Parts: sequence; structure tokens; C-alpha cells
Amino acid sequence: MRRSLPALASAVALTLATSACGLGSTGDGGGAVSRAPELDPGQQVSIVFESYNFGQAGAWTDTFTELIAAFEQEHPNISVTAQKPQGNSANPATDTISSLQSQLSAGSPPDVAQLGFSDLDFTVNELGALPLDDLVGKDTVQANFDGERHAYAPPARTLGDWEGKTYGVPFVFSTPMLYLNTKLFADAGLDARRPPRTWEEVRDAARAIQQRTGKDGAYVDCLTKAAKDWCFQALVRSQGGTVLSEDRSRLTFAEQPAVEVVRSMQEMVREGVMPNRTQMQAVDAFARGDLGMILESSAIQGTFLKGAGQDWELGAAPMPGFGDATPVPTNSGAALFVFSQDQAKQRAAWELIRFLTSERAYTTIATKIGYLPLRTGLVEDPEGLADWAARNPYLEPNLEQLEHLEPWVSMPGPSYLRIRDGLMQAVENAVFQGADPAESLRSAQRDATALVPGGDK
Amino acid sequence: MVSGTFVEAPPLALAGEAGVRPASRETGRSRARRLAPPYLYLLPAVVLLVVWTYQPLAQTFVLSLHSWNLVPSTPMEPVGLANYEQLLSTPELGRSVWRTVVVILGMLPFTVLIPVAVALLTRRVRGRAQGVYRALVFAPMLVAPVAGAAVWQWLLDPSAGAVNRILGTDVNWLNTTGTAQLAIIVITGWHVAGFAVLVVTAGLAGINPDYAAAAKVDGASRGQVTRWVTLPLLSPTLAFLVLMTVLLSAQWTFPLIDTLTQGGPVGSTTNLYYLLWEYGFRSHDAGLAAAAGVLFFAGFIVVAAVLTRLAERLSHHDD
Repeated sequence: MRRSLPALASAVALTLATSACGLGSTGDGGGAVSRAPELDPGQQVSIVFESYNFGQAGAWTDTFTELIAAFEQEHPNISVTAQKPQGNSANPATDTISSLQSQLSAGSPPDVAQLGFSDLDFTVNELGALPLDDLVGKDTVQANFDGERHAYAPPARTLGDWEGKTYGVPFVFSTPMLYLNTKLFADAGLDARRPPRTWEEVRDAARAIQQRTGKDGAYVDCLTKAAKDWCFQALVRSQGGTVLSEDRSRLTFAEQPAVEVVRSMQEMVREGVMPNRTQMQAVDAFARGDLGMILESSAIQGTFLKGAGQDWELGAAPMPGFGDATPVPTNSGAALFVFSQDQAKQRAAWELIRFLTSERAYTTIATKIGYLPLRTGLVEDPEGLADWAARNPYLEPNLEQLEHLEPWVSMPGPSYLRIRDGLMQAVENAVFQGADPAESLRSAQRDATALVPGGDK
Repeated sequence: MVSGTFVEAPPLALAGEAGVRPASRETGRSRARRLAPPYLYLLPAVVLLVVWTYQPLAQTFVLSLHSWNLVPSTPMEPVGLANYEQLLSTPELGRSVWRTVVVILGMLPFTVLIPVAVALLTRRVRGRAQGVYRALVFAPMLVAPVAGAAVWQWLLDPSAGAVNRILGTDVNWLNTTGTAQLAIIVITGWHVAGFAVLVVTAGLAGINPDYAAAAKVDGASRGQVTRWVTLPLLSPTLAFLVLMTVLLSAQWTFPLIDTLTQGGPVGSTTNLYYLLWEYGFRSHDAGLAAAAGVLFFAGFIVVAAVLTRLAERLSHHDD
């Protein structure tokens, strides 16, 4: 025993000596970011672009690979390495933040990253995305939004802003839509050309489908933890409420409007017109033709169209509202952020963002993937997307919603995901597992309040 | 080299003659030379162990006293024991411990009872059929958990799934708080049972057949031989399996939970490991995850110590 002491002591010493290194640095992350100068024509730069679109096989990867090739042709001095987020989730979009974090801790973040709006607070304040207004100048950023021929839709311009500065350029985008199975509508004696406009009408239509066809009625993909909170926020906004106070210091999702939303959704489950399904099960069931209606992100439209094929036809309508109130859709989707430390790379990263959000890129993205073009004027431009828009009957409700779109509010502070998960778990518990809506939301809000920075403990 | 040593030796010897002090230094040096080799041999192993095991462990402990989001540009803030306080005051932790216990109890039939029965039964099958049976039982182990999960998801589908059609029910197995945990246990059990059968078969092969033969000569029936000879001699293997089940069950379920339920519905399949992962890699709360890790580490040391002690006491060894 005594003999082994020196060995033990040296092992402990070695452990202690090495344990302090490799963890967080004490250097300050903030500070002003200086202007990145224009590149010389002959200056060779290589940058890394990380996007979850590269993790989705088929149209997504192919389209983006094509765009990157076109960019390199236009900028022969910039070479782009495209990569998908590290991680192996079924949905690569859920790996974006953890992937970025691990690359940041290794000291080599991607130069351009495509990140969701729900992560905005964390991306700007914790991950240290660079303010584009400082990097290339506010005029340049605004000039890009104005575009060569078609400007960004006004509500879309500021979605990547934080405290008056633009950090992210909104890139891809979808809104909640009510998709219909027109065959089930016809079988149930309903008119799919006059889709439900309110939740009361959705409930009646769902009941009719269920009773006359034996299939499930309607599913709202906004009520589970997996669905995240984007379209739940839309439901609450439509009912006149919010989930977070204007100054971001207080959670408000246990207040009356949110409770009423949850209660009305719970009643649909109780009556049996909304089946108890996970997100994945519901999407599969709708694509198979076993579900009459689904409130879903327009990004899933491709899956539904593929499922529809010969057997049934896909119909689409804007998100329904509560009573006479105008529904307030929120957007899901992602913006492009810059993380490079090197000035040449920062400028090259901006060039890539400018290209990917150009009229030309949006024309390609909309026709090949089906994402909404944020330069909405393109759909009337005969040289742009006019042809495509005429052939695409699902576009109109989507564009209609863009008029009164509101941003998807990101939860505050470093523990934002625990707040979001807590909220959605409470919603799920009430809607699908029968818990009391008011009590469930109240206890979730109580638990989450301690996680809000500056929130009352 | 050799000549160098030769040249060096005489002055040392001279110094030894010169006085007391150098002499003691010389003995100190030779003592060191005598004692050093064992430690030098150990050094590579110890360094690797420290770098890969103990250092991360110490880092975890350091991290558990800080608040940090894993980004190098944000400084770590020391927060004392706040992470532990927060952890012990959340109801989630207690619930996830209970769910872990349920998973362990639910896994025991799949890792102990069924494998023993299967191994004993396949032993009676002779020839090539024996190999075929064992291969069939082991096959699920070779299916990647995520691929298996996809098939199970399809079987358990509430509207089109085979399970509901056979049972004549319309339960949404994976999205009902009462059944999700059961589904996870059964699928994990299906997955690891083959491995446990392999372990038991190896254990059986290690038992000297002379004991059974002797018992038979004394007139013992096949059942008696199994009960009084085979099972006691198999006890070290069974103790090992129980220990594995207790320590690893929650880890085995992880890929299935991640693909099938993501800890839901409403947290009903969130066990310790899933909670730990959610804190660290979904919520980016490294301090809290580290504190949880330290607590589980301490807890599992106690559990493992108790189990090894029990296993020692309960096992029969064929010495």
C-alpha cells in the first residue's frame, strides 16, 4: 500500500495538472467587429458552408450542390466546401447548434452556417455570430435585401436582426398550412374547394370525415415537443396571446389565450377527431392517405405530393383561425450566419450569402425544392417564377400568409431549449395525455421562469 | 553507451571514498535505479489511463462547479454547488431515476431468465440444428439498433401496424404514457437477448460435464441435475449478467429512445442517460450535465460495489 502511494500521488498530480486545460477560455468574446475589406480579384480564399440541407438526400442536396458550383464559377477565387452538421439525428436540422458548438470548441467553426430562427438569441449572444452590419456595412446588407430586381418581402427582412443589427440573412422559409386530402373530403361529402377557415369548421369537417370514411379527421402538428414551438406560437398569436413578454424577461404562456388554445385542441382529441399520434406517425399517415387534414410546415409539401401520387389529390389552405379573428402565422426556417475569424474569409462568406439569396438562387431553390421565394416579386416575373407559380396551386395560400406573418420568437438565455421543451411538453401532456391545460402550463412556466435571464426567480 | 558507463563509474567510486554525504547520494541514486523499473513499466498504462479516464473525470468534476455553454469564447462562470442544488430540486431527476429502475427490472427477464431457458434448451438440440437455433437467437444483436427501430416503428404503427392488427387493439404504443416504456423495454430486450444467450452458452460450456454424469449415476433426474448442479455452477455467469443489466440497461435503451420516442411522450421514457444527454447536448448546459454525471458516477459506484459483493457471496465457484 505504502509503495503504491508515490504512483497514486503522481497520477493525481498529473490529473489535476491537465484537468484545468481544455475547458473554457477566459478571454472575452465580445467587442466590435471591424470591416472586412473587399477581396482582390487574385486572392484565393476557401470557406466552409454548413447547412442541414446537405443532410437531406435528393432534391435538397442536389440543388445546393448545383448552387455552390454556380457560385464557384462566378467567383473563381473562392472555393467552398459544403458540409452537413455533425451528428446522426434522423432530422439533420436538429443537429445544427450542437455541431456548431463542437466545431467552435475545436476552434474551427464553419464560415457560413444555416441556423433556425428559434436559435437566434443563442446564436447571437452565446455562439457569437458576427454582425453583418459591422462586417460589410449596413448599406451593403440593405442593398442585398433590396435586390437587383425584386426586394425581400418586408416582414422577412428583419427576421435575422438582433437589437437593430442584422446578424443573419433569412434564407429558407415556410409557414404553417392546412393540407387536405381532397379524396377523403369528397368521400365525406365535403367540398375541398371551400376548405375550413376556422378551427370550429376544421372540427366539423374532421368529424364528417371520420364518421363517413372511417379514416382519421385532422392532426395539428404544433402540439408536441418534437414539433418545437413555432406553430404553437402561431396558434397562441391567433388567439391574441404571446408566449414571451415584449421585453423578453417574462414568460407568458400560462396566460388565458394559450390555455384556451390548448383546451380547444385537447377537446378535439377527446372527441376523437384528432388522433393521438407522434409527428412522424401523423406525417406518414397523411402521406398514406389515412388522415383528412394536417396543419403542417410547407417544407413537408414535397413528401405529401409524393405520397399523393395517383390515389388522392393534395389540397392546401391557409392556417385556420379562432372564431372571426384573423389567424397570425409564424415562419419556420433558417437564416445564414457568418462565424469566420479571418477577414478574407468573412468577405468571401458574405459573397456566398449574397449569391445564395440572389434572384437567381431563389429561382433555382423554389423550382427544385419548393421553398417559398423570399423575394416575392419573383412569382410575377415572367423571367423568374411566373411559370412555376402558375403550375403550383399550393403557392397562393402560402404567399397570402406572408402578408401578416410574425416572427418565430426565440426563447431567451442559454437554457432556451429547456424552456421551449418544457412548454411543449406541457402542451403535449394536456392535449394528448389528458392533463389539465391551465395547471400543466402553469407548472411548466413556474419551472422555466428560473431559466430566464433576469427573470424573477 | 557501454564505454560511457565505464568512464563514468570511476569518479563515482572515488566520490564514494571521499566522504559520507556523496555516499548517501550514491545509495539514493542506486535505490532509485532499483525501484524505478516497475514504475517505468507502468508509466505508459498510467499515463493513458490518466489522460483518457481520470483527467476527463476530474474535468467533469471541475465543470460541475461552473456554468458554461461549451463555447470556448464564452468564459466559464464558477457557480459553486448551484448546479447540484438545481439538479436535486428538479422533479425530473427523481422521475428519471425511477424510470431507470423500471427499465432495469423490465430488462432482467430478457437478460437472465429467457437466455438461461434458451441456452439450456438449445443444449439438448444436437448437430447442425443447434448452430442454426443459436444463430437465429443471436441475429437481432447484429441488426443496427436504428434499423431495428425503424422496423419496430412500422410494426407498432397505430393504424397500419401488425401488432395492433394481431392483438385487435388500436393503441398508439409509442405515444401513450403507459405503454411507451414497455415498448422500449421489449424492443431492447429483443435486441440484447441474443448476446445474453451467448454469454450463458459460454458459461455452460465451461462447466465440467463430469459433475452431471456423476449426478446421473447417483440417479438424479435431468431436472434435478439442472437445479442442483448446472445452475449453481452457472451462478458466476448469472451474477455477471445481472451486473451488466443493472449498469448498462439504460445505455442499451438510448438509441431506441432517441429514434422512437425522443424521451416522450411527456418524458415517460426519459431515463437517467437520456436526461443527461438532453442536459448536455440538447440544452447545452455543460455544468448541469456534468453535475448530473458526477452524481450518477457516485451512485453507480455504490450500486456496482454492492452487486460485486453480493455476487461474490452468492456464486458457487468450481475450484
